[in-house]
Amino acid sequence: MASLPKRIIKETERLISDPVPGITAEPHEDNLRYFNVTVEGPAGSPYENGIFQLELYLPDDYPMEAPKVRFLTKIYHPNIDRLGRICLDVLKTNWSPALQIRTVLLSVQALLASPNPNDPLANDVAEEWIQNEAGAKATAREWTQKYAKKVEN
Amino acid sequence: MNQLALNTKDFKTTKIPKLQEIDTLLRCHICKDFLKVPVLTPCSHTFCSLCIREYLKDNSKCPLCLNELRESMLRSEFLVNEIVQSYQSLRSDLLECLKIEPRSTETSIIELESEPDDLEIKGSSKALFNISTDDDLQIVGTNERPRKRLASTTFIGKANKSNTYKRPSSFQSVLKGSTDRKNKQPQAQCPICQEAFPIQVLERSHLDECLTLQSLGKPPKLTVKKSTPPLRTLSSSSSSVDAGFRMSKKYMEKEDEVSHTERYLNSTLQSNHQRLPKVDFTAMTLNQTKQKLSSLGLSTAGTKQNMIVRYSHFEILWNSNFCDSLDPVDEGELRRQLISWEASHNTQTANNNNTNSIIAKMKIKSTNRDSTYEKLLVDFKKDTFNRRAWIVLFKKDFKRLIKEAKEKLKSSTTTSNDKNTQPSLELIENKPVIVDELTDTDLSKEIEEHLQNKEMQAFKEPSTSTQNE
Repeated sequence: MASLPKRIIKETERLISDPVPGITAEPHEDNLRYFNVTVEGPAGSPYENGIFQLELYLPDDYPMEAPKVRFLTKIYHPNIDRLGRICLDVLKTNWSPALQIRTVLLSVQALLASPNPNDPLANDVAEEWIQNEAGAKATAREWTQKYAKKVEN
Repeated sequence: MNQLALNTKDFKTTKIPKLQEIDTLLRCHICKDFLKVPVLTPCSHTFCSLCIREYLKDNSKCPLCLNELRESMLRSEFLVNEIVQSYQSLRSDLLECLKIEPRSTETSIIELESEPDDLEIKGSSKALFNISTDDDLQIVGTNERPRKRLASTTFIGKANKSNTYKRPSSFQSVLKGSTDRKNKQPQAQCPICQEAFPIQVLERSHLDECLTLQSLGKPPKLTVKKSTPPLRTLSSSSSSVDAGFRMSKKYMEKEDEVSHTERYLNSTLQSNHQRLPKVDFTAMTLNQTKQKLSSLGLSTAGTKQNMIVRYSHFEILWNSNFCDSLDPVDEGELRRQLISWEASHNTQTANNNNTNSIIAKMKIKSTNRDSTYEKLLVDFKKDTFNRRAWIVLFKKDFKRLIKEAKEKLKSSTTTSNDKNTQPSLELIENKPVIVDELTDTDLSKEIEEHLQNKEMQAFKEPSTSTQNE
């Protein structure tokens, strides 16, 4: 295995020992650059009470290059397309090595709380969001119920 | 040390949780480790020289504030460098001293017994803390320290004159006398000379004195009193911690032979190496690229792209080493760093059959000394490579290889191009003295290729399994 930079080890340790509320991130056993992530839908948003699965991959050049993040759970959101790809500045142009997994996942959670239909990735969703916000939010809530339902223990 | 440095939350569970802030501030925001050769940006942010240079290769903004930033704007920060190093050498001791001792109510008798010891611990921890913040205080200049420090600087300035040598030591003997008289006061161990002093004396004057002595290059009486038991309560904690503590003590002694204050005061950048320029490879042919690399003694294996990547990383290593670092390493060491970087980054994909077969032969040859070979390989990956041992191990093979190469060279009609791409072989024909150097570079190539093969194999399995998912 290629040697894992100390920074990744450190970040992983901290993610596990001191997790962000509402977010979990666990590295894959075979590949420590691949994380299984869950993000809780923020309270007050249409995604409330949903638990969303994501995958996060740290490329070889991390932290010089942004981590690759993708939603695995279906979600109705103007900035997230059908394949789960996310339109988020810190994952693209505004990435900086001073950011880390933790901050990126927080940004993703913030994106759920405040969708931005003016810079869309899923055009149909964005259109609906602008024209009929209440309807779009209802759909988002419905999808959350359907695909991202919390599993009660 | 590194193991300890990994955990950033250490201080949150100590008596002074706020120390955590210093711990965090002294780290680079890119690698999250302690700043190594820190450089300052025009926007007043500090990063490791290597980290920021690596980032600026493809970007031109500050990672923290996103303001415009180019490599030429970076300036070395000697003061921060010394602060970080002095802090690092004290960190594990600090952690140990500030650890909150678990208190149980049942063993009250033992507690009473250990109370004097406790006092001592507190005292020495205080003392240590003083040292650690010493640099900070000097920067801020908030208490009476600057005055004292001025005195110590003049000491350093006159370090060669004999009378300044005498003064502190006679001072010490006077102090010792006073310690005997005031024996009933709570005592604490000086972290530098290990002797016990009343806490007040220690704090007011002895520490300064001891530090000055040290900066003068006089080894304080360390070894004599080493076995005194003033840190007894520490042994009640697990033995591994104890061992770690002792190890860090050793580290400290070694590290502090040169005082960080003195190093800072005497720091000047006096590199006789020019900074390595950026090269536009797009306009260069393959041969020109090879020439450029071999003129720097770099491997010319792989595709042009591989060579460009290799050069640009070498440029970063070089510039960081010769433009920013206070004590630069030599070029050979830089080349070794480059190779181990390449080995861990898997940038090179090309493997020619020739070297593969050599490695295979080396493997067969080394079966009876397998353990040595494996150990060396592990060392190489850990960045603690032992050149000599490797050369000894494969001396015969290298000699044979050189012989073969020479014969090959004689038989083939040498064109001007060949001369350029294989300068090292040419040299050997003329001067057999350089044989050792050749083995070195050849050797590095081999290891590099070999490591990559190994890594590729190791990589295949997990990557295919993730694809299947």
